[in-house]
Amino acid sequence: MARQKWSADEDIFKLFHSIGHASLLSDIQDSHSGNMAMRWKNAQGKEVIVITATGSQKGDLEPRDLCYLSPVEIDSGYYQASSETDIHVKILSLPGAQASMHAHVKELVMATLDDQPAPKTPPPFIPVDPLAFYHLGPEIPVDWFAVPSGSPEMAKTIPARLKDHPLTVIYGHGAMTRGRTLKETFFNLCLASNAGYIVRLIERQIRSTRVKRHALKTPEKQEKNLPPEAPLPVGQCPELEDLRSKMKAAPESYFHFCPAPYNPDIENRCDFPEEEEIIKEFRRAGNRLFESRLSPFHTGSMSVRGVDYLFYAPQASMPYEVGAPLLKLPLAPEPGDDVELLLHKKIYAESDFQTLIHAYVPEAEAHAHLIYPGEEAPIEKIIPVDAEGSFMYLVIPVLPPKVAEDQLITSLSDYKVAVVRGGGVWAAGGLSLSEALHHPSSLREICLYRLAAVERGLDLRKMEPEKAKKW
Amino acid sequence: MAIPGYHGRVLDIDLSTGNIKSGALTPEDILLYLGGRGLATKLFFDRMEPAADPLGPDNVIIIASSPLVGSQAPTAIWGYMVFKSPLTGYLGGCNLGGNWGRAFKASGYDAIIINGCARQPVFIDLSPEKIEIRHASHLRGKNISESINLLTSQSPGSRPCQALVIGPAGENLVKYATVASDKYSLYNRGGSGAVFGSKNLKGIRVCGEEKIRISDKARYQASLDQANYLLKQSPITRRLMRELGTAGFVLLARHLNMLPHRNFLDAEPDVEKVKAISGEAIARCYLEKADSCYECPIACLRQTAIKTNDACLRCGQGPEYETVAMMGSACDIYDLDCIIRASYLAGELGLDAVSFGGTVACAMELAEKGYLTSGQSGDLELKFGRSELLEKLVELTAYRRGSGHLLAEGSYRLASACGHPELAMQVKKLEIPGYDPRASYAQALGYMTSPTGACHRRGGYAASLSLLGGNKGIPRFSLFQSPITIRNLQNTGIIQDSLGVCYVTGFAFGVEPWSRIVSSITGYDFSAARLEEIANRVASLERLFNLQAGLNPEEEGLLPSRFAEIPIMSEGKPRAISRENMLQMCRDYYRARGWNGNGRPGDSYLKAMKVEPKKAES
Ligand code: SF4
Repeated sequence: MARQKWSADEDIFKLFHSIGHASLLSDIQDSHSGNMAMRWKNAQGKEVIVITATGSQKGDLEPRDLCYLSPVEIDSGYYQASSETDIHVKILSLPGAQASMHAHVKELVMATLDDQPAPKTPPPFIPVDPLAFYHLGPEIPVDWFAVPSGSPEMAKTIPARLKDHPLTVIYGHGAMTRGRTLKETFFNLCLASNAGYIVRLIERQIRSTRVKRHALKTPEKQEKNLPPEAPLPVGQCPELEDLRSKMKAAPESYFHFCPAPYNPDIENRCDFPEEEEIIKEFRRAGNRLFESRLSPFHTGSMSVRGVDYLFYAPQASMPYEVGAPLLKLPLAPEPGDDVELLLHKKIYAESDFQTLIHAYVPEAEAHAHLIYPGEEAPIEKIIPVDAEGSFMYLVIPVLPPKVAEDQLITSLSDYKVAVVRGGGVWAAGGLSLSEALHHPSSLREICLYRLAAVERGLDLRKMEPEKAKKW
Repeated sequence: MAIPGYHGRVLDIDLSTGNIKSGALTPEDILLYLGGRGLATKLFFDRMEPAADPLGPDNVIIIASSPLVGSQAPTAIWGYMVFKSPLTGYLGGCNLGGNWGRAFKASGYDAIIINGCARQPVFIDLSPEKIEIRHASHLRGKNISESINLLTSQSPGSRPCQALVIGPAGENLVKYATVASDKYSLYNRGGSGAVFGSKNLKGIRVCGEEKIRISDKARYQASLDQANYLLKQSPITRRLMRELGTAGFVLLARHLNMLPHRNFLDAEPDVEKVKAISGEAIARCYLEKADSCYECPIACLRQTAIKTNDACLRCGQGPEYETVAMMGSACDIYDLDCIIRASYLAGELGLDAVSFGGTVACAMELAEKGYLTSGQSGDLELKFGRSELLEKLVELTAYRRGSGHLLAEGSYRLASACGHPELAMQVKKLEIPGYDPRASYAQALGYMTSPTGACHRRGGYAASLSLLGGNKGIPRFSLFQSPITIRNLQNTGIIQDSLGVCYVTGFAFGVEPWSRIVSSITGYDFSAARLEEIANRVASLERLFNLQAGLNPEEEGLLPSRFAEIPIMSEGKPRAISRENMLQMCRDYYRARGWNGNGRPGDSYLKAMKVEPKKAES
């Protein structure tokens, strides 16, 4: 079936357009990279594969950039469609796979680079954040290909990988994923990118502090008159590997909770259409979470409470064009509530807050693993070193992964924002979502400045205001 | 030794017997009620017979200070007064800035309790050496500034002192008379001046130099730095308030269709006319300088001047937003000169400009509709827009002359006397201030559930969030969100009133910096959650008093039917609040408060709040 240049269904085009645009904003594509495909029933009820055309600008698709192919026979549309069409078609023949997507997830690609000679056999990527760990698995396969673009070798290996994993990495190139919807594939890719970013931040943090840490003379070293240790060799980071293996062995000790599985069945649900202003607030805050990278696509959650109900966005980070479900749910806990929703309800039951946002701010997640030189345990508070941050907050608590609910609620009451190591950032508002949103947004900046100071070899302890240390 | 931030002393004065007692403030009252509004409400609740006549000797006046007053905390100069309101018949409560609150704290007391009734005009003289009830016949009939000048210029030992007084309106028991200090800082709403007047109490003079202790100076300084930084950072507290004062809200309110027009018949006064009474117009034509309460860095007060008939300059303070809205657009008056003159005079004679403006607007509508007889109007041809009558009406009201006698009773009694109570724009007989409730459902609910009647400050200042909420901007037309929003805003107000700080700081920050400051001063952990708990407790106690004073939640002050029947246009849609929606919001609000669906705090809730049911139910 040939490409139907001018008869693209409006809804399917909007979907591709919005996901394409969002993927560009997420920086997981370059101007022309990547491709998206999905199974779709056309107006005649015939199942086709819709796929982006080769060379199209995914961030700014036109109706003519969508190709409609037969899923069972090769037609001329194949030659106009993506160079990775064969791979997509095979992926879409996997049970349950309705959509597939390929993107240049640079952060993950950078985190998996090595300097081994080809042909390479790279190890799987082990995420250290809960989103990727639970949604993509504790080991994400990485494959090296001699021809890493549209090759028969890839068409063979990648669908096989995706039988057992939602996402697989093409060494030095990008990632490929499958999902029940196109949004789910985008979700997977954003998590992958985020996971790579966090690992890289932690690695940089460890490298920068290691020099200082190992130069410190511990009493033991002094006693034995041992020399200070050398900086890390290039390409190795034993502390990171140690963290990864511990997380793999006992994830429940390192992550706050296992996030609920991605739910594609509630995609366009809105339970409170009459509350136009609140819908607008959700969409504004959700778009900001997404565009400012305060939480990867469709992760985190936010809520506004009423007296008996709460309005709940279980996929908080949402670009305007794509949206996300907005639910009206009873405030009282119910069987079937997931951990995150229950936590919203519990916090409301124990406080006067009107709004809550839970976001996975990558910089905060990475920074929460910082161990100051000379110390054994990760930080328990983030002390802003920038002018605005230090006046706005003085300190922001970092709570352990197994924090008790009451302690989280107390921290929110006192600070309005708290980081849970391995569990994202919780922020509360007395009145509005916008008020709650301000916290993760400020926190990201605060962490960026601190991370930059660490990378530049500055002594954070000296930079932290004395008054905050005593707080 | 008293808890730092407090003196630990309460003064109890019986004007009937002349007895003066100094008692100890219990740590329990401090920890459960904090100070200011919370403490005053507790002391009031324990002493006041709810059914007592508000203008009889059994009404109790409590003025309480707060742990932050006397510190360097920004704006921490406010004092709070509680009494039974002669206008509403329920709890009366208001606060006062200026210099008096600080001076009162320096007298060495945390609160003063006044009951009974003097046989002749008196004032209370509070100095380190002596506390006396002294004759005040020489002050009778004197206006506010004269009375203050006389009291402060004759202080014992010529020491600097401050005075709190009533004007002729209070002496004449005008139901919305004020008590004032610093010439124009007022305990303005609910008729505190009439309660003073009914007790023959012309005023209170204080002098003293007692200081408070600070428990943790380093932490105190760090938290002060934070609060001051945040005040400087917010464009509202840094600039808008200083440059335009609260009247800077006038045009903003008009643009949001929130500014009352013609007794709330609509909210769309002509924009060009509104410009003539805006904060910008005041700054351009009348402002002498921005003024402030004691050492306040925000300086929202206006020192203005108008030309008198003999071309001299007459100086005064204001007008504030409320005055402009209620004496201005609510009466369809756009002559700023007239509004300022009337506002100066209302200040001098001791009238609440909001209730006065609301009552005049009501009278104008009654007159235009032919419901106000010429006998009742004293042959004044009342009509919307008659600016030249304003000053005259202030005088008639304060002295209860001619039509002023009816105006002095407030809009509800006036409209009832004319057979049309529905034309009084009030809740619990307190006039609705200058924010149309149809333009903010949360504000509407705030008016309905405020313990003191339609007061935006006690009811939760939701309108301010529509005007300048910044990241606290809330949906204006959400039935879902409004009950929790208004509970939280009311709680913030209770916390500010109990800490003795200005509501204007709320434009820059919420409760957390205050929590740090009060904890560092007292040495006790007043976390934000604990402050919220105190606010919930105070709200419940206020509610209990009103219920015991006869409030029937079933008929509790809903908004007048006008707000259900006549929509205003806002954001492209007609907006009204049906009676059903009003009731629904009230019911949701009760439950948000943890009260029963019928608006009564239940026994178990009171127990959890540590409100003693015995005292509460007695
Ligand atoms: S902001 Fe205005 S009213 Fe408040 S304390 Fe300062 S000067 Fe007084």
